Amino acid sequence: MNLFMLLAIAAAMVLIQFVVTRWVKLNRLAWMGIWWAALWAAFSYGINPPLPNSIIVLFMAIITIALVAYLSADNEELKQAKESIVRFMVTRQYRVALLIVMLVIPGAVAAWIFASMNEAPQPPSSGRTIHPPPPSSITFQGTSINLTTANNPIRELQHTDEAAFAEHVANGRRIYFENCFYCHGDNMEGAGMFAHGYDPLPANFNDATTIAMLQESYLFWRIAKGAPGLPSESTPWSSAMPAWEDFLTEEEIWDVIIFLYEFTGFEPRAQGMPH
Amino acid sequence: MRILLTLLLVYIANPAVAQQENDLGTEAQRAEGKEVYDIKCAHCHGYEGDASAVATPYLRPTPRDFTSGNYKFRSTASGELPTTEDIKRSIRLGMPYTSMPAWEGILSETEITNLAYYLKTFESAFDGPYGNPTVVEIPRAPSYSADPDHLARGREVFEANQCADCHGENGRGNGESAPELVDDWGYPIRAADMTKRWTFRASATREDIYRTFMTGLNGTPMPSYEQTIDEEDRWALVDYVWSLSRDTPDYGTTVTVQGRSGELVLGDSLFEAAPETYFPIVGQIIEPGRAFYPGVNGISVKAVYNESEIAIQLQWHDMTAETEGMNNPGIEVPMFDPAQPDTLMDGWSDAVAALLPSRTPEGLERPYFMFGDSRFPMSIWYTDLATDSAAVLTGQGSGRIADNGIALERSASYEDGVWTVQFKGPRSRGELTMSEATFVPISFTVWDGFNGERGNKRGISAWYHLYLQPMETQSAVLPMAKWFLIVLGAELLIVALVNLRARRRKTA
Ligand code: HEC
Ligand code: HEC
Ligand code: HEC
Repeated sequence: MNLFMLLAIAAAMVLIQFVVTRWVKLNRLAWMGIWWAALWAAFSYGINPPLPNSIIVLFMAIITIALVAYLSADNEELKQAKESIVRFMVTRQYRVALLIVMLVIPGAVAAWIFASMNEAPQPPSSGRTIHPPPPSSITFQGTSINLTTANNPIRELQHTDEAAFAEHVANGRRIYFENCFYCHGDNMEGAGMFAHGYDPLPANFNDATTIAMLQESYLFWRIAKGAPGLPSESTPWSSAMPAWEDFLTEEEIWDVIIFLYEFTGFEPRAQGMPH
Repeated sequence: MRILLTLLLVYIANPAVAQQENDLGTEAQRAEGKEVYDIKCAHCHGYEGDASAVATPYLRPTPRDFTSGNYKFRSTASGELPTTEDIKRSIRLGMPYTSMPAWEGILSETEITNLAYYLKTFESAFDGPYGNPTVVEIPRAPSYSADPDHLARGREVFEANQCADCHGENGRGNGESAPELVDDWGYPIRAADMTKRWTFRASATREDIYRTFMTGLNGTPMPSYEQTIDEEDRWALVDYVWSLSRDTPDYGTTVTVQGRSGELVLGDSLFEAAPETYFPIVGQIIEPGRAFYPGVNGISVKAVYNESEIAIQLQWHDMTAETEGMNNPGIEVPMFDPAQPDTLMDGWSDAVAALLPSRTPEGLERPYFMFGDSRFPMSIWYTDLATDSAAVLTGQGSGRIADNGIALERSASYEDGVWTVQFKGPRSRGELTMSEATFVPISFTVWDGFNGERGNKRGISAWYHLYLQPMETQSAVLPMAKWFLIVLGAELLIVALVNLRARRRKTA
């Protein structure tokens, strides 16, 4: 969301509604034009990351149809609207304005063609699924782990044996700073010293849309199987996330998961809740 | 020891130093600093501040050993301790292109102040007479001047002071003594590449450059020139160094490949007019052979094509050319070579590769960027710079790289710190066709033999693209005119009809 832009659009609408109408009377047709323009501006400039052009065209087509339907639902209004258009076309007094409009419309079409033909070509963009559904079970170093029921065995210690739990956190810290921070960053913000060379960027664990909304078993899968374990909608061929099953033990992975939550202060999503 | 001696000399020369209060913070501030330190810093700098910590063996430069009192970034004279403000600034801004992150925005100003006081407790000299160092005044920078005489003067000062011995004739970090440089802890250290000032450790404004050669970088071979460079020459030197680099790396994502008519003859003139794109190179730390401190940090790429062939030029900065020994992407490497003081290795040559998909990709699918996989193999345009040949290898993953004897034309040269490698091959081979007006995935790998890089221990890049610009671009004028007239005609028709009808109604 680009709040600043959306606010500016809303302010312009309010200005037209309450100020401009004092001097100029706007008929239904003009209002619909203004609404159309405002919605187009909101879709084009008010949303971050920007919507693809094809989506904007689709939205605007729907809105155009809706506005036409709205107008034609009432015979009287439709007639009024039609009459105002006809008046614009036949009244001598509007001749110059008509001429301008008649030149501006094809001019705009030509400009649009020029822009689209001179557009720098865009590489195929990656509409990557960041959190694909996990498999129901994985084979980890020869044993099968059921991801729908697996719990982090270290979690229990959090309430039963604080000293032992702290040791696991410390071990997780060691594992993280031996293996992960080059990519995920010191502060887990996804900006490690090598992050700028990878695409997609390493996950930012401080962001509420990563580990904060995932189950620990999901993290286990992602850490154990890395990029090569992803389905194709998640572009496994371009992610730098290593498959740690070759280098870490099961307990080490659970330890580093504990550390991710301890360091960021997030709670994992409880087991059994849908993704 | 060296520090203590210099400090002692300063002390004898200037006993007044001892009389001022040292800025050590309060007991409470240091205690709060310790709390943050143990969570955020200790895994690199060590709980005792001595840089013996879990991450240390994987990092070069190694995290600062605070018990040594050596700080690179100081506003104080060579060999002296830093001020509290200096330490705070290093914490705030970090050290670019090392593992030392910038803590600004993550830690509060109070936390950073407390940390600085806590760091001082690791070195007792902060508490003694030397804890109050002499600040070297950095005058405000006059505005940058690109006047040729001024820059020529800067170049003279650069030569007269032998900056080139370490930094290289043109500042590319490839000076004659550069390969032997070690820091005070015996670890190899590389002289800064002045053509990439975004990699400077202690920031890169013109004042920073001035300060760097005035104060030197303690703990490194980078000396102080406070005594040797006259005041009126200092800004000339700064501006000369400044003139060697662009402001930012300007990392790109696509190489625009221009069409050429006629034969592609490898050589400098072939690529002269071709647009250049610069890509980041980072360590391969995904599979065994993890390269935590790759020798190369970026690669510049140009390419051109004709009806049947494509030529690609790769250029990168390398301190030394290793043209002896051998290299190969398939060599087996241990999980990682620890950063011991003696890791400079003989026997490995420099090498480079451009990685392409083995077939024309459909949609987003491409080979796994680590040398491909069996689902989608990779074509590896590879050359070992100890040889004078190049080949197209097939990669199905690390350790699964086959040489099917497909030769590739190549030319290679090394000059003043820059490797230039040019490949030429057909645009269409096997199932891969690089058509006009399409994006072809490409990725790069560089091996710095000096750094022991071989096999999977290498500098890598993500997937980027080559875009083959159509030889003949269609002009927009005709379609524009066509549609202008069509729309205008339609409008005229509508207006005419409406007018006609209105007139008829009036007369009726
Ligand atoms: C070479 C760089 C690299 C290293 C080293 C690395 N990661 Fe990753 N990691 C990534 C990238 C890139 C992504 C995002 C792309 C993806 O989802 O695969 C990622 C994603 C993740 C995710 C998924 C987050 C989510 O929201 O789905 C987890 C969990 C994770 N990493 C944990 C770790 C742990 C734990 C380590 C150390 C044992 C580690 N990573 C080491 C690059 C790395
Ligand atoms: C991921 C490892 C890492 C972490 C975490 C880290 N540092 Fe560093 N730090 C380094 C490295 C590496 C250097 C040396 C950089 C160089 O020499 O170019 C360094 C250098 C420094 C320096 C010396 C600057 C100079 O002028 O020489 C200070 C001060 C410093 N760190 C403070 C901190 C503080 C305070 C924290 C915690 C808030 C911290 N560091 C966390 C790796 C780290
Ligand atoms: C004895 C070798 C040597 C000489 C001579 C030398 N330097 Fe350096 N210089 C170094 C090293 C090594 C570094 C890198 C230090 C590091 O990475 O922390 C460096 C770094 C620098 C930097 C970057 C500082 C930063 O923030 O990273 C600048 C600027 C610089 N030198 C300028 C000069 C100038 C100007 C001269 C000549 C007046 C000069 N150097 C002479 C060894 C040398």
